[in-house]
Amino acid sequence: MNFALIFLIIIFSISLFFYGKSKTRSLALQNNLKLNALPKFYGYYLVLWCSIPSLVFLLIWTLFEPIIIKSIIIDNAAKLGANISDKNEANLIYEKIKAIHLGTYFGDIDNILQQSALSYSKFIGLFTNSKIVLIFSVIIGSILYSLKKIKNNNKARDDVEIILKGLLFVSSLIAILTTLGIIFSLLFESIKFFSVINIFDYLFGTNWSPQRAFVRDASSITVAEYEELKDAFGFIPLIAGTSFIALIAMFVAVPIGLFSGIYMAEYASTKIRRISKPIIEILAGIPTVVYGFFAALTVGPFFRQFGESLGLTVSSESALAAGLIMGIMIIPYISSLSDDVINSVPQSLRDGSYAVGATKSETIKQVVIPAALPGIIGSVLLAVSRAIGETMIVVMAAGLAANLTINPLESTTTITTQIVMILVGDQEFDSPKTQSAFALGLTLFIATLILNYVAQRAVKKYREKYD
Amino acid sequence: MSDIKIKSKNLNVYYGNKQALFDVNLDLNEKEVTALIGPSGCGKSTFIRCINRMNDVIDICKVTGNIEIDGIEINSKELDVVSLRERVGMVFQKPNPFPKSIYDNISYGPKIHGKGESKNELDEIVENSLRKAALWEEVKDRLNEPGTGLSGGQQQRLCIARAISVNPEVILMDEPCSALDPIATAKIEELIDELKKTYTIVIVTHSMAQAVRVSQKTGFFHLGKLIEVGKTEKIFKNPDNKMTQDYITGRFG
Amino acid sequence: MTKEKRLKKRHNAEKRFRFYGLASIFLALLFVLILVQNIFSKGSSAFMKTAINVTVFYDPELLGVKNGATKDEILEADFFDITIDTLLKTFPTNNLDEENQLIDLFTTDAELEIKNALINNSNLLGKTVSLEITSSDDIDQLHKGNYPRDLPEERRRISNFQLSIYDNFLENKKIIKNFNNYFFKNGDSRDPEIAGIGGALVGSFYSILICLLLSFPIAVLASIYLEEFAPKNKITDFIEININNLAAVPSIVYGLLALQILLATIQLPRSTPLVAGITLALMTLPRIIIPCRASLKAVPPSIREGALAVGASKFQSVFHHVVPLALPGTLSGTIIGLAQALGETAPLILIGMVAFVVDIPSTPIDPSSSLPVQVYLWSESAERGFVEKTSATIMMLLSFLIVMNFLAVYLRQKFEKRWN
Repeated sequence: MNFALIFLIIIFSISLFFYGKSKTRSLALQNNLKLNALPKFYGYYLVLWCSIPSLVFLLIWTLFEPIIIKSIIIDNAAKLGANISDKNEANLIYEKIKAIHLGTYFGDIDNILQQSALSYSKFIGLFTNSKIVLIFSVIIGSILYSLKKIKNNNKARDDVEIILKGLLFVSSLIAILTTLGIIFSLLFESIKFFSVINIFDYLFGTNWSPQRAFVRDASSITVAEYEELKDAFGFIPLIAGTSFIALIAMFVAVPIGLFSGIYMAEYASTKIRRISKPIIEILAGIPTVVYGFFAALTVGPFFRQFGESLGLTVSSESALAAGLIMGIMIIPYISSLSDDVINSVPQSLRDGSYAVGATKSETIKQVVIPAALPGIIGSVLLAVSRAIGETMIVVMAAGLAANLTINPLESTTTITTQIVMILVGDQEFDSPKTQSAFALGLTLFIATLILNYVAQRAVKKYREKYD
Repeated sequence: MSDIKIKSKNLNVYYGNKQALFDVNLDLNEKEVTALIGPSGCGKSTFIRCINRMNDVIDICKVTGNIEIDGIEINSKELDVVSLRERVGMVFQKPNPFPKSIYDNISYGPKIHGKGESKNELDEIVENSLRKAALWEEVKDRLNEPGTGLSGGQQQRLCIARAISVNPEVILMDEPCSALDPIATAKIEELIDELKKTYTIVIVTHSMAQAVRVSQKTGFFHLGKLIEVGKTEKIFKNPDNKMTQDYITGRFG
Repeated sequence: MTKEKRLKKRHNAEKRFRFYGLASIFLALLFVLILVQNIFSKGSSAFMKTAINVTVFYDPELLGVKNGATKDEILEADFFDITIDTLLKTFPTNNLDEENQLIDLFTTDAELEIKNALINNSNLLGKTVSLEITSSDDIDQLHKGNYPRDLPEERRRISNFQLSIYDNFLENKKIIKNFNNYFFKNGDSRDPEIAGIGGALVGSFYSILICLLLSFPIAVLASIYLEEFAPKNKITDFIEININNLAAVPSIVYGLLALQILLATIQLPRSTPLVAGITLALMTLPRIIIPCRASLKAVPPSIREGALAVGASKFQSVFHHVVPLALPGTLSGTIIGLAQALGETAPLILIGMVAFVVDIPSTPIDPSSSLPVQVYLWSESAERGFVEKTSATIMMLLSFLIVMNFLAVYLRQKFEKRWN
């Protein structure tokens, strides 16, 4: 249906383009007018007026139609006496009604369902018909308006450009809308979560075991129940595990990345640089699920066997394996950023150091690195933010149980792992367990936001200093 | 007449395929200021960068021929470029203090060369160098402030102090005043006059007036060739070469 | 300390420092090598499958169809008995247990393979032909040498009796290696020997297509606005900071966004490439805008002024002159953004693409998987056969990424003008 309508709008637009172009041209010839813009701009003008309002209308309609129909149908069914106590049951009944309408439902059909299905068919028909009528009136209305405009020989080019500029502006707003969407969706569930679980119990609790929170109506929790619940959502072990794995990753990535960056910027010949830089950057292009697979199937078992041969107990989901692989993934982020940063240290500083007789490494250590330090710190912070937000490596290679440990050979879990574990498969909406994933997401979002902001400020300030 | 400190013989320099210096033969006298003049891109900077082998930093640069300091060849493989630069300091066109404190800027050189083992010795070197560079009175109360916070002229004197701090024999100056205002320039010129008592100085300059004011000997470069060299007075009053004559009278430049 | 000693020490420090740098680069390169080698050595065998040569007699009586039956009649026929008959004929057995063990050497789809052969050529009815039936995963892995046969029997999935059959087959040259068409053609399955990435390939294709269609135009328009038209004010600054931050938001957060907005609020269908494409587009958008703006910025102002000077409007100068010049950089940035999106896993897991989907999706609103999610799914499976399948999937994924990245580099180097 929608495709047919879009097709129709396109056809209308194309014919209007040619109509507008020739019409204005002939008008100009007849009345010996000097046009304010080339005839084709009058064509564009008509096209924009014909397509944009109708497409926007169609989009909004399509987004809201199912939601409205659903709420009407569910309300109706409830009035008819259907037993709808929560969202899941409502969804189930709605799916059944839809299936009956499509003729693909083979279960028992009771009276309520039958009637609901009938009214569903009725509403679908009604909505489709009114959609078609309304779209046509939108199209015709805007065509009439724009035709009247071009008859008066308006400045079509300026108008077209104003509309297009609006379109450009709206496109750039999508970024802000995305941010708002993220904040809204995280906050929405998090607020529900924190209305059940005290925020201090979350932030300072030392025990994380959300599986203990059975599905229950979050809005009516008794004091006794809360006592049992409150230490199921302690954030401390997660932040500890996340930081611990990130720390191990940094132990791998910072020295290797920094030294590679220094070598590339200061020592490597153009030829070596041209070959090795892209190869190292391959590490950044490999999907993280591949690292996860490698960590879980090769590195983890290898560490366990190696540990056994030394008489150590190593978990096959050790923090060490996950951290090591994450560190490898992060090497190129640090190496290429620090390479850039070091390259932008002015040559005159190096010359000054060589001129008093410093060796290359003395110059690097005592002049170049101190000068580049803000930029280097910025790149490390960005890498830390990557590490704590990284998901697949830890989901596949780190543990699931929240242990508070500082032994790298044991398994720990991370914020991202828990989000995935809670939300994979079927979720019960409105249970504190599901909502806790959004609270974790919010925490993660805020943490990475702060890190990124500080890092980008540091790098930017540094760049300005030497530009 | 003083002794010859630096002697270049058939010096050729290439940047990739482009030849920048052609058979330069030039003797520089000890404890004297030699000025090198000539139009932009004529090779005067390239020449002085050969004296402390700063051209090593540029990958595509190739040097043939000889430069001797006190009769010792400096382009030989055995010569340690680090200790050469300890003996031949350099001051650049644009002041380039390190982004460190004034004190650290000066003490950097002595520290890496192992001069001034104790704090007292270092303090002394810093004070002496700054005094010699005529900067001590201006900065003695703020030695811990960053060197980049000084004015342009002060920064350049700081760089001169930095060059002096390792007690070199030769100081190379690559247009040291081109980024400075006239007052700061006058101060630096005064300073050069003072320094020539202790050091052999080679200065590249665009300003002929400056060459006349500070130098005893002048060399004129054009298109990578040393056209004429001689006593400053002679070069500016009565040059042998027609091209030198044209340059100093401002017919080209 | 004498001067010489000190100099020597300093030069040694220089060499050490240089060595650390070189060693770091070497280590990083070594990691790339180990990773790639590991994946290739595990995965390359998945492109071949093991088959066993059997002799089938298409007995019309057993099938319950007459000679000269139509295709529809063959489709209706029951091939179970004939399959059991055929498989049992391959090796003598003494009891029911041994019979079961023998049948277990073949794929669970043996019946389907025998049936398809007849459907493809109905002349075979009443005739005896030799067919290549895909072996079970265990035999496949054993034949490829991925399965240790020297374990004690109770710890092996393959019994001694099965081993002796395998050896007998091998001796009689009944075991063949074929190109593994199932791997590319089939959807997911619980049985490794017939599991394939067909569904994941189509799912990834749809997702990336939708991602491209949404993110590329919006990113280009937004970049043009920000770079060419936006007034320098607080709002523009805010948008700019916003975009930079969005590019660094962890991908899983986009998964939460999609879950809440696209699935829970707008109620788009779960597990579908449509939702995946929209989610990836939101994630990719800032990652494309950044290189887009950089290449617009690289076009020198003289080009704009030149166009304005002949009386073009601001719009014409931008769209006729600046945008075409910035296009190579824009396209290469887009391809790199899409390559990242192609490898993205975490947000897709949250929108339910981990569901077990056997059918190959025919539209973007059918439930589906995607290549990286398939890697995740299979890597969680215990069967040995899935290890090579996972590695092979990774090989496919990596080769797509390599092609995309080369394309991006090529575009940039070939068409981008250098401004000095």
